Amino acid sequence: MADGRGGQSDQPRAATRTHCDRSDQAMLTYDILIVGSGGAGLYAALESRLEEDLHVAVLTKVYPTRSHTGAAQGGVNAALGNRDPSDTWEEHWFDTVKGSDYLADQDAAELMCREAPDVVRELEHWGAPFYRTEDGRIAQRPFGGASKPRACYAADKVGHIMLHTLYEQGLRHGVDYFNEWVTLNLIHDGQRCMGVNAYNLRTGRLHTIQAKAVILATGGHGRIYWTRTSNAYGNTGDGSAIAYRAGLPLKDMEFIQFHPTGLRRSGILVTEGARGEGGYLLNGLGERFMERYAPDKMELGPRDLVSRAIETEVREGRGGPDDEAFLDLTHLGRERILERLPQIRQLCIDFEGVDPVEEPIPIKPTAHYSMGGVHTDINGCTPIEGVYAAGEAACVSVHGANRLGGNSLLDILVFGRRAGRHAVEYARRTKLGPMPDSAFAEAETCLKELMEGDGKETVAGIRRTLGRVMSEKAGIYRDAAGLDSALADLEELKDRYRKLMVTDRSAIFNTEMLAALELRNMLTLAETVALGALARTESRGAHSREDHPERDDANWLKHTVAVRGPGDRPELRFEPVVITRFQPEARTY
Amino acid sequence: MTTGKITPKRESLLANIRVQRFTPGHDRSPYFDNFKLTVETGMTVLAALRKIKDDQDSSLTFRAFCRSAICGSCTVRVNGRSVLACSTQLLPILKDFGKGSVTITPMANLPILRDLVVDIDPVIDKLAKMHPYLIENPERIPQALEQESLMSQDELNSFDYLTDCILCGACYSACSSVQADPDYAGPLTFAKAYRFSIDARDNFRGIRDQAAIDQGLWSCVQCRKCIKVCPKDTRPADTIRRARKLTIDDGIQDTPGSRRAKTYVADIERFGQVNKPMLPVAVYGTKGWDAIEAAEASLTRHGMEPTRRVCTLPGQEGAARIFEKVREIEQGEKKK
Ligand SMILES: Cc1cc2nc3c(=O)[nH]c(=O)nc-3n(C[C@H](O)[C@H](O)[C@H](O)COP(=O)(O)OP(=O)(O)OC[C@H]3O[C@@H](n4cnc5c(N)ncnc54)[C@H](O)[C@@H]3O)c2cc1C
Ligand code: SF4
Ligand code: SF4
Ligand code: FES
Repeated sequence: MADGRGGQSDQPRAATRTHCDRSDQAMLTYDILIVGSGGAGLYAALESRLEEDLHVAVLTKVYPTRSHTGAAQGGVNAALGNRDPSDTWEEHWFDTVKGSDYLADQDAAELMCREAPDVVRELEHWGAPFYRTEDGRIAQRPFGGASKPRACYAADKVGHIMLHTLYEQGLRHGVDYFNEWVTLNLIHDGQRCMGVNAYNLRTGRLHTIQAKAVILATGGHGRIYWTRTSNAYGNTGDGSAIAYRAGLPLKDMEFIQFHPTGLRRSGILVTEGARGEGGYLLNGLGERFMERYAPDKMELGPRDLVSRAIETEVREGRGGPDDEAFLDLTHLGRERILERLPQIRQLCIDFEGVDPVEEPIPIKPTAHYSMGGVHTDINGCTPIEGVYAAGEAACVSVHGANRLGGNSLLDILVFGRRAGRHAVEYARRTKLGPMPDSAFAEAETCLKELMEGDGKETVAGIRRTLGRVMSEKAGIYRDAAGLDSALADLEELKDRYRKLMVTDRSAIFNTEMLAALELRNMLTLAETVALGALARTESRGAHSREDHPERDDANWLKHTVAVRGPGDRPELRFEPVVITRFQPEARTY
Repeated sequence: MTTGKITPKRESLLANIRVQRFTPGHDRSPYFDNFKLTVETGMTVLAALRKIKDDQDSSLTFRAFCRSAICGSCTVRVNGRSVLACSTQLLPILKDFGKGSVTITPMANLPILRDLVVDIDPVIDKLAKMHPYLIENPERIPQALEQESLMSQDELNSFDYLTDCILCGACYSACSSVQADPDYAGPLTFAKAYRFSIDARDNFRGIRDQAAIDQGLWSCVQCRKCIKVCPKDTRPADTIRRARKLTIDDGIQDTPGSRRAKTYVADIERFGQVNKPMLPVAVYGTKGWDAIEAAEASLTRHGMEPTRRVCTLPGQEGAARIFEKVREIEQGEKKK
């Protein structure tokens, strides 16, 4: 790929549209519709819009630059070799496969690592302000699980600058944005995509958007753990749930990555930097408990190990008053904290009301990344022609059982772009089909029903229970009994959901309605997570079964695939893992 | 190693949270609801709003997404000050004001959609008119994706701080000039335009200069409120001054604002003060005479004698020396 598109000479289009006000039109038509405006969605949009003959729109439940991609801090991986010239994409490939605990499809991971330098440079050519090396190239830093320093970065705002750059170029190239529109469902005939129904949050109106191709780029579902997640409020897995309800398979849903140090109240991350500078992890009794779990590496052990250690302390009654552990920096002294960790200090003051100079920071492990998602091939294609998925919503799979830091931002670029490209080809050779009326009616009923429950159940109530069930029974530690009980609880929550009533009757900006729609998606996905976790009787990557503590390659070197079965219950199938070069070995660091 | 049992310091306080409510088309005018809430250590304004929505009134409407001060969704005014709800601790505010009460209202200068949610499209539309994107300079940005576009960290640093902007609109909400003139583009939009204009890889500065001028670059009154409220400390008012200088350096000298700036500078060197009586002509050309004549007539009516020339102040020589020095330094820098 050396065409360097992005147009050196082209002037911006005259009418730059920042949002579409089509509230009057019940039906809208596009060639390609992208649901979601994170990195994956915006890259796909730009990629397809650069083909000037096609009409492309992005539909998003928040303003594009609000998307969760903006929260990524650390870096995006690409073997540019700017800091260590000996780095190669093959090494990146190996690190990715090893990090995945050998569950990644090696052909997909290969492709991602090969294309990484191109997508990062394309973003740079579009103006992304990556930090620079002495000789003016993109700066790179070391990252957990990577054998060479290959994470391209910009201070601690790499996702932010990527997201803004993509949005800006989208404005320039005439992408239409539907901001604060919520996608409800996919319209299709079992074989082909026809469009979506969407709810305009501002007006409360329901619309049909006809499209030849729909790309679901709706991000992850960390919010199924509700407050115990580093994810944004809206990371409720809408696209994955929508796909699942349309009959599409979800892959490897049991794999959720936890980060050991989220703030007690909000789940916001305190980055590894704090431990890197010499912070201690203490339990409620003030013991530096990592002595028991990783006497050599102590606080600097791998994320999953540290998360499990904290969880064990709390389970065995050695947590703080709120079942938290503590990250203690006080012994470093005021000066060192102010000099080396000013941002982390500010973060604790702003979000937790705690000054780490004076007292230990209360932390809990927090759900951070969803490895599972819509089952796609390397072009984002799903079994329904014209329906694509990309980014954290999708599972190609490149992350397998455990994602490497810096690989997710890469995933969204590479596969956002590929989905965009493939959709262009598809849209060009496809005609819009007739629309079934039934789809609109279905979506309408769904909204109406939410206004009609008996009112005993609230979104907030069900959501809180969901978060607790998932954290306790399908979180960092899992076992058969807990997962069985989680599935029963979820069944009950689904029942309660049917009785839910949205009490806010306003058509205008009804955020309670939005939350109810999101909750439905979370319940749907939580069930697939718990079911996959129950089936997988081994421990691999982020999935840790107390009753099956070993990795079991003989039986489980395969993907789980959940499809919606009778009675609105998921059924599991299995898919082989693609192994091309690296034979599974023990994953030790 | 053990430090002994940890007992976190946690306080709480029963507070009164006053929130402005309003659904245009439904309510005749905005009104306030009071919510009683136990506010504890660590609770942000956003956490309080969410707790109220969860437990007391599910129709309370506000925006929030990342709850970590990076998405820019949650801007509201707390006791009149534009802040991010998600990074504002509530307890210190309640204690500071001593009354255990706090008032939360939506951002100013923008139409209310509902309760604390405002329509931010006007800001984004104004932003879009500034061409807020990089247009590639072919000398700096290679055609082929195999090559990086080289740029030094110093070049990047000249605008890096501006890329911190999260489009939260706090500055727009606080801006005096937007309040006076709804067509004024607002602090963030000028800052964002400037970020691209001084990016060495960009090729579109002239057009952006003009777009900024057309949208009121010279109307900023430098009240610096935008600097005070910006949660990312991007200092828009300072950028606006730099952007003005940039337009003059780029040769757009024929705007009222740039003429005023240049007249100020020339007058101070010459007289040690600004020649105020003649300023209207300096700024507005012949049209300025009307203003001058009107002012003179008014002075005469009050029995004063108008003048068209100010005296040279005693400090003028000092001022002139400063100008001399500045020129020297500038020359030196150019040679470098
Ligand atoms: C705190 C944090 C730090 C991270 N740091 C890193 C890092 O350093 N490196 C790295 O590689 N990865 C990192 N990650 C992971 C990475 O940020 C995400 O995986 C990635 O940004 C996901 O991008 P996306 O485009 O798939 O989705 P998102 O950015 O989540 O975007 C989803 C979009 O979908 C829209 N949407 C959702 N549902 C609907 C609906 N129903 N209707 C309409 N629109 C909808 C939303 O509005 C949003 O625009 C981090 C994650 C977190 C939480
Ligand atoms: S300094 Fe200018 S831009 Fe900033 S708030 Fe005041 S008038 Fe607005
Ligand atoms: S300049 Fe500051 S206050 Fe204004 S929108 Fe950007 S981040 Fe917000
Ligand atoms: S919720 Fe994102 S900035 Fe506050």
